[in-house]
Order: sequence, then structure tokens, then C-alpha cells
Amino acid sequence: MSTLLAALSQLAPDPGYSTPRIDWHGLAPEIVLSAGGALLVLLDAIKLERAKAWMPALANLTLLGTLIPILTLAVEGSTRSLFGGSFVVDPMSLLLKAMFLVVGYVVILLSTNYVAEGDYWESEYYTLLTTSILGMVVMASARDLLMIFVALELLSIPAYMLAAWRKGGRTSNEAGMKYYLMGVFASAILLYGMSLMYGVGRSTRLDVIAENLARPEMQSGVPIVTLAMVFIVVGFAFKVSAVPFHQWAPDTYEGAPTPVTAFLAVASKAAGFVALIQVVFYGFYVRPDIIEPLFFVLAVASMTVGNLIALRQTNVVRMLAYSGIAQAGFMLAPFVVVGDNFDSALSAVVIYLVIYAAMNLGAFAVIIAIARKTRSAEITSLGGLFSYMPGMTVAMTIFLASLTGIPPLGGWYAKFSVWSALLGAETALGVAMAIVMAVNTVIAAYYYLNIAKTMWFDDAPDGDVAPVKVPVGLTGAVGIALVATLVFGVLPGLLTDIAAFGPVSAALGGG
Amino acid sequence: MTGLVALLAQVGTEAQVDTTFDVPANVVFAVTAVFMIVAALRVVTTKNIVHAALWLIIVLGGVGVQYLLLQAEFVAVTQFLVYLGAIVVLILFGVMLTRAPLGVSTDLDNDLKPLGIGAGLVLAVVMGFALIQSFGADQLDFRAYDSALGLDDPQTAAAGRTGAVADGIFGQYLIPFEMISVLLLAALIGAIVLARRD
Repeated sequence: MSTLLAALSQLAPDPGYSTPRIDWHGLAPEIVLSAGGALLVLLDAIKLERAKAWMPALANLTLLGTLIPILTLAVEGSTRSLFGGSFVVDPMSLLLKAMFLVVGYVVILLSTNYVAEGDYWESEYYTLLTTSILGMVVMASARDLLMIFVALELLSIPAYMLAAWRKGGRTSNEAGMKYYLMGVFASAILLYGMSLMYGVGRSTRLDVIAENLARPEMQSGVPIVTLAMVFIVVGFAFKVSAVPFHQWAPDTYEGAPTPVTAFLAVASKAAGFVALIQVVFYGFYVRPDIIEPLFFVLAVASMTVGNLIALRQTNVVRMLAYSGIAQAGFMLAPFVVVGDNFDSALSAVVIYLVIYAAMNLGAFAVIIAIARKTRSAEITSLGGLFSYMPGMTVAMTIFLASLTGIPPLGGWYAKFSVWSALLGAETALGVAMAIVMAVNTVIAAYYYLNIAKTMWFDDAPDGDVAPVKVPVGLTGAVGIALVATLVFGVLPGLLTDIAAFGPVSAALGGG
Repeated sequence: MTGLVALLAQVGTEAQVDTTFDVPANVVFAVTAVFMIVAALRVVTTKNIVHAALWLIIVLGGVGVQYLLLQAEFVAVTQFLVYLGAIVVLILFGVMLTRAPLGVSTDLDNDLKPLGIGAGLVLAVVMGFALIQSFGADQLDFRAYDSALGLDDPQTAAAGRTGAVADGIFGQYLIPFEMISVLLLAALIGAIVLARRD
């Protein structure tokens, strides 16, 4: 009896444990999103086939519902730090969360007809999309290596499977398999880097790591710090498809179902950048001597190689894949001045990320709409588009012009803020980076505008110019992306206030 | 490495058996490490894929033994249960179900083998140098770790290091813990869809 009591007393709550104080308001977006995801699974399990028609609408409602607590948090405008600083809700993270949710909303609009008309598993598609978005939303707040890693896996693993969702197609299987193998390889490198970083930083929390790395004895001649940082950055470089870790991207983008490609190219890539922002701007910034040259090499290689290969593409999805690699190079550029121009660099990355999401998603939306008629993604098949889809042609031209960086569109302002961050740092690396970027912008203009030329001036390859009816969901998706691209270009102050951590509450009238 | 040498030099002198990574532990470490290295080499050199999976058992089991030496009993048990109990079995089932040839296969290597060996060697040297340079002089002192975890207090010592893991999971790391359940659910759903015949 006494031994039993002794054993039971072992089960009593450990006196060293105290229940964590949970800030329910700060966690509300994640809770709403997970509840919505669970609801999707339950509905699918109970109603089976009958639930199919409701799935996209329900997934969209979940995403919109998640925006409500984000708005209330933004109006309140305070910075909340949960779990000892490993989960931080501040204006920047709210902006990024809102971006992921809107991107997810648009991707679901793009998917609705595509998935219903093709031979896909529908209900599960929306469940996986929602879970992946949950991973991204958590990533926007994660300031802890462990949480960043789990968020990365939560957003990647559903994406691996979605890339292979066209089960019958060889290219889709290849897309999923390539993405999966490269992804887990990158995860292994990342995890090894994180374990080394835990060894020298003595914590998983990024702020503590920064403190420990800033100690004088850690400032030079500690190769393990370099190694850990390189491994972690390389792990995320796979995710954002930076050269030389980009080989999976074109095949995966081409083979995956096109709405999934849009999701990978925009949301998944943005999540990789958010992870880089977290580790670099909240942890590794104390060692600019390692971070700056590393990102210089990655950024120069990405934009140059991406652009040069994009010039030769004949398939518009592959071209967007390579242009996405080049755009990733532009987004990596501000990291080069993290030590010298911290605030401008951070807001430049965030601004570029949000605007890139809008314009690239728009370009994919138009391609999905066009492919409903042409059944092809070859650039030549876009000929004569203006004669039968004038609205889509205008929209696509605006997205391409924005990707090129022509004022007054969003892409122009994104590039401008990166340039001003680079030149404002007044370092040799920053100036060199700005020059490389300028040259690459000119190269990119050629292939973006080449597509515009084909759409406006060439004849339709099959001579069929009957007007095509575009589903309302697709038109809505293009509309949202178009409005975002134009508004951020004309009123850039809207974004800078938030990205520069200005009082969002004031902007929203909350005082 | 230098720490290991220094410890071996201490044989016979006043070794603090209780608190540090002591001599017997070092011997067990060295023996296990040699077994693991040999087995790891066999995993990649054997021509028989089933044998590779069996060699992997020694590598993964060796990792578990290392965790035990570090007095991380919960992690060690998890390592044994998950890696030996589940992952290796999964690999063997995978080989069986995909009807891969069970005997010797000759086409497991490709032309990039020398490049792979070179890259592996460079990585081993670079990482070995960095690790020894940073941690080589460190000595493992369990008492210091326990006091960092608050386990030197007799009140909390009952829960042990496993209790500390539990505190972490349901305290600071609550969000990642909950997220993993969502992740497993999503992986399950997706895997069923992709694997089933339709």
C-alpha cells in the first residue's frame, strides 16, 4: 500500500511546474484557424460526398474569420509576448499573418473550379491548404528555433502532398517527389544548424541567442557560429528557392496543379522569407560579419541566374518559376545591410514580400483563367489574348509591369524601398548589391514585357477569338490582387506605416 | 576530443564520479561510437538494401545509448521506441511492400560516388574542426545541468529529468506541441489520399 502511495505521489503535479499564462486574445487567430481546420475534417468525415460543395466556402469563411481577431489585435496595437518571448504578436507579425490569410483566400478562389473540374480529392485539398496556412500564421509570430522548425514543417508537409495532388499525372508525381526530397534534405541541414546554434546560443529563444552571440568572446574566431548560421540560412534558402538551392522549383511549379503552384510560389516562399526575417533580424543580426557576405552571395546568384534562365523559357509557368527565383534574390538583398541599416532593411523585406505576394498571385490567377481556354501554358498560346479576354490582358499587363518595377505600381515601390535601404547603409556591399539589382531589373524587363507584347500584338495561334466566360471566383481573385498591386503602388504610406511598426491603431482610427 | 584525453589522463586520480562524465562512461561512449561509425559506413556501402536497414538499427540504437550516457533517459526511451520500434520496421515493410529485390542489388551506386565521398570528407573535417574548437575543452558536469533545471532542489528532484521534459512540453513549448498534433493529422489525411488506389 505504501509503495502504491509513493508511486501515486510521483504522479502529483511537479512543484517546479507552473501552468503557463496563456494570452487567449494573442492566440485567437491560430485558435480560430485550427478550429476551422478541425471543422473541415469533421464535416468531411461525417457528410462524405455531400460536404464537397461546402468545403471551399467553409475554408474561405475560416480564413476570413481568422482575420477578425487579427483586426482586433491590430486596433489594440500593443506588442504581446507569449511563452517567455517565444511567440510575439506585434504589428509586423499581424501584417504578415493577414497577408498569408488573404493569399490563402485568393488561392482557394483560384482552386474552387480547378479542383472541382479536374479529377482531384476535393475535401482533403482544402483541409491541407488550411493546415499549411496555419503553419504560416504561426511562423509570423515564432521567435523560437523550435517553434520556427515546427511551423516550417507544418506549412511544408501539406504542400509536398498538394504538389502531388494530380495523382494520375506523372509530372505531378515528379513535382511532389522532388519537392519532398529536396524539402526534407533542407530540413535536415536546417535542424543540424539549429542544434549547433542551440549549443552556442544556449537557448532556443532567438532573443537569448542574440544576447549570447553578442558576448565579446563570441564575436570572432568561433567557427561553430559561422557553421550554424550557414546551415540554418541554407535550410531556408531551399524553401525560398534561392540559387544554388533552386533546382526543384521549375519542375515542381510546372508539374503541380496550377493553384498549388501559385500557393507554393507565393505563400510558401513568403513563409520561408518570414522564417529568415525571424532568425536574422531577431537573432543573427549581432554577427553582420557572417550574415552580410552570405546573403550577398545568395542574392547576387539568385537574381542573376534566375533572370538569365528565365530569358530562355517558352512555358509561362516555368518562366514565372525562374522569375520567382530572381525576385527571391531581390528580397534577399536587404539582408545584406542588416548590420548597418537595420530598420530600413527590415521594412524593405516586409514591404517587398507583401507586394510580391499581390502581384505574383495576380499573374498566376490570370494564367489559370487563360488556361481554361488555351489548355496550355506555352507563351505562344497567349497570342491574341487581347481580342478575346481584354480584361484579363489588361490585368496581366499590370501585374507584369509591376513585377518589372514600373511606377506607379506596387512593384516599383517595393524595389525602391530595397534600393533606399541598400544605399542608405553606405557600405561597399550595399552599393554593389544595388548596382547588381539595377542591372537585373533591366534584364527582367525584357522577358516580362515580351509576354505583354505577345498578348497584345500577336494573333491567336488557332484563330479562335470567341469570348470566354471566366468563373466569378477567378475574376474576384484577379480583382483582389489587382487592387492590392495598385493601392500599394499609389499609396505606399499604407504599408510603410505598418512595416515600420508605426501605430497601426492610429491608422485604423482606434486612437 | 581534448576533453576526452584530459579525462582519460585523470584515470586513478580523484575523478568526481558523481558529477562529471566519468571514465566508465567515456569507455562506453568510445565503444559505442566505434560501433556506430562502422555500422554507419556499412549502411551506405552494403549492396543489400535489407542489410542497410539492419545496420541502421545499430546506428540508431547507438544514439539511444549515447542519450542514456548523458542521463537523458526519456529521450533515450523515445529513441528506442520510435526509431528502432517504428522507423526501421517501416523501412523494412516499405522494402517488402514495394517488391524491391531482396538480394544484392548492383545498381545502388551512381557515377557521383567519388563526389559524394569528397563532399562527405570535407564536411566531416570542417564540422569536426569547428566542434572541437568550440566545445573541445568543455567538461560535462551533470550537477550544473541539474541546478540549471532546478533539479538540485529536493522538492522538485522527484520528477527527475523526465519531469523537466514534461514541464517544457506543457510550459514553454506548448504551441509547438499542439501544432505537431495538427501536423500529424494533416500528414495522415494527405498520406491516405495519396496512397489509396482510386
